[in-house]
Amino acid sequence: MTLRRLSSAAVLLSISVASLAAEMGQTLVNTDLKSEPFADAKTLASLPGNSAVDVLKRQGGWMQVKPAGNSEGWVKMTAVKLGGATANAKGDSGMTALWNTAMQGRSGNTGVTVATGVRGLSPEDMKNAQPAPEQVKKLDSFAATKSQAESAAKSSKLSRRNIDYIVDASGARK
Amino acid sequence: MRVRVSLLLGALLLASGSVHAFNLDLNKLIDIGKKTTDLKEVDEQGEAEIGNVSAAALLGAAPLVQNEKLQAYVNEVGLWLAMQTERPDLAWRFGVMDTDSVNAFAAPGGYVFITRGLLLRMRNEAELAGVLAHEIGHVLKRHHLVAIQKNAKSGLAANLLSMAVDNSSGGYGEWKKKAIGASTELYARGLDKEDEFEADRLGVVIAARAGYDPYGLPSVLQTLDGMNAQDGNLALLFKTHPAARQRLDLLDTAMAGSLDRYASQPVMKDRFEKIVGEYARKGK
Repeated sequence: MTLRRLSSAAVLLSISVASLAAEMGQTLVNTDLKSEPFADAKTLASLPGNSAVDVLKRQGGWMQVKPAGNSEGWVKMTAVKLGGATANAKGDSGMTALWNTAMQGRSGNTGVTVATGVRGLSPEDMKNAQPAPEQVKKLDSFAATKSQAESAAKSSKLSRRNIDYIVDASGARK
Repeated sequence: MRVRVSLLLGALLLASGSVHAFNLDLNKLIDIGKKTTDLKEVDEQGEAEIGNVSAAALLGAAPLVQNEKLQAYVNEVGLWLAMQTERPDLAWRFGVMDTDSVNAFAAPGGYVFITRGLLLRMRNEAELAGVLAHEIGHVLKRHHLVAIQKNAKSGLAANLLSMAVDNSSGGYGEWKKKAIGASTELYARGLDKEDEFEADRLGVVIAARAGYDPYGLPSVLQTLDGMNAQDGNLALLFKTHPAARQRLDLLDTAMAGSLDRYASQPVMKDRFEKIVGEYARKGK
């Protein structure tokens, strides 16, 4: 019993550590490191291209980063390419670590990564797909009503805004 | 075009052998015929029919994840987004597909799908909203419908016409087969690049209208850009879409000065982590 409790605690610990692991990236071009997530904020340093950074936080189009050998600051998200020498290089962002841990637990596999290529969807699979109308019926059963969607949004304090569409690449709006 | 329709009608009548036995509402058929000759005038019912078979084809390639709570969550988020558009009353359906592949799909009439592989790589609800809103954008602009009709070898306009005929005789198997062939081919080949860029621009605005930080979609594009391009789970997405880096750069330019003021809207990290995290922990 104690042993089981101990091992589940260890699993929990590894899960939280995995999901908290910092994402890494590198700058694509010469980039100003700003004190705040604004273009006109104070410039703390100028980072050359290919500078390794730890991603600490995101805010809109900005990322708070900690470059090696510099204090933390903000850079435009477009200036950063995610991925580094570790798990991040494979795009293991978000909930991937949780899923992988669960899959390892189930299969008893002690390997590092098991999630690739289990059930894929290649261009060939798509071309050869046989229709599954019963799945579409199942999908119907999950449909939300407008009032459900509205109250879910309200409970999370999402409020409607009137915003025009962007009509072309220059950002013109209508 | 009008001549072709009447020729087709004539052929159908001949093929039926007897007009009386066919019990055909000629006016209705002519009406449908007129509509389907113009791509832009396929009515909502025709769009829904094509969407229904396209969705069946997609779910034939990868079925729905069996997790009611997760599916209900994605439907609530998705419908809230769709309600902020000019087509709020379509029969919107959202689903998570059970595959490691990283992708999302739309089908005519209001069907939107996201794969488990993509969902699990997201960090918050604003990212989910951004992707769903991009797919909603395809539906709003009827991108797939127009492409399917343009590309169907046998001409889907004619097939829509025969659908009406077949319906009166109790089934429309042949039409469905053709529509499925046309849509799976399209999903394997992809839309025009311009359609993708347009859906990106629509998506960020729809997400902002629904109250989210509009940078969810750019953030997902950045994730994709950082992934290993040789990863087999990305093969279909990378084959059918412009490079994530190019989409990200174009969006960044288009959003500057108009959408960045909404960047402080919520990303809904907690709700996302609770529901998607619970699913991920179960590993099924």
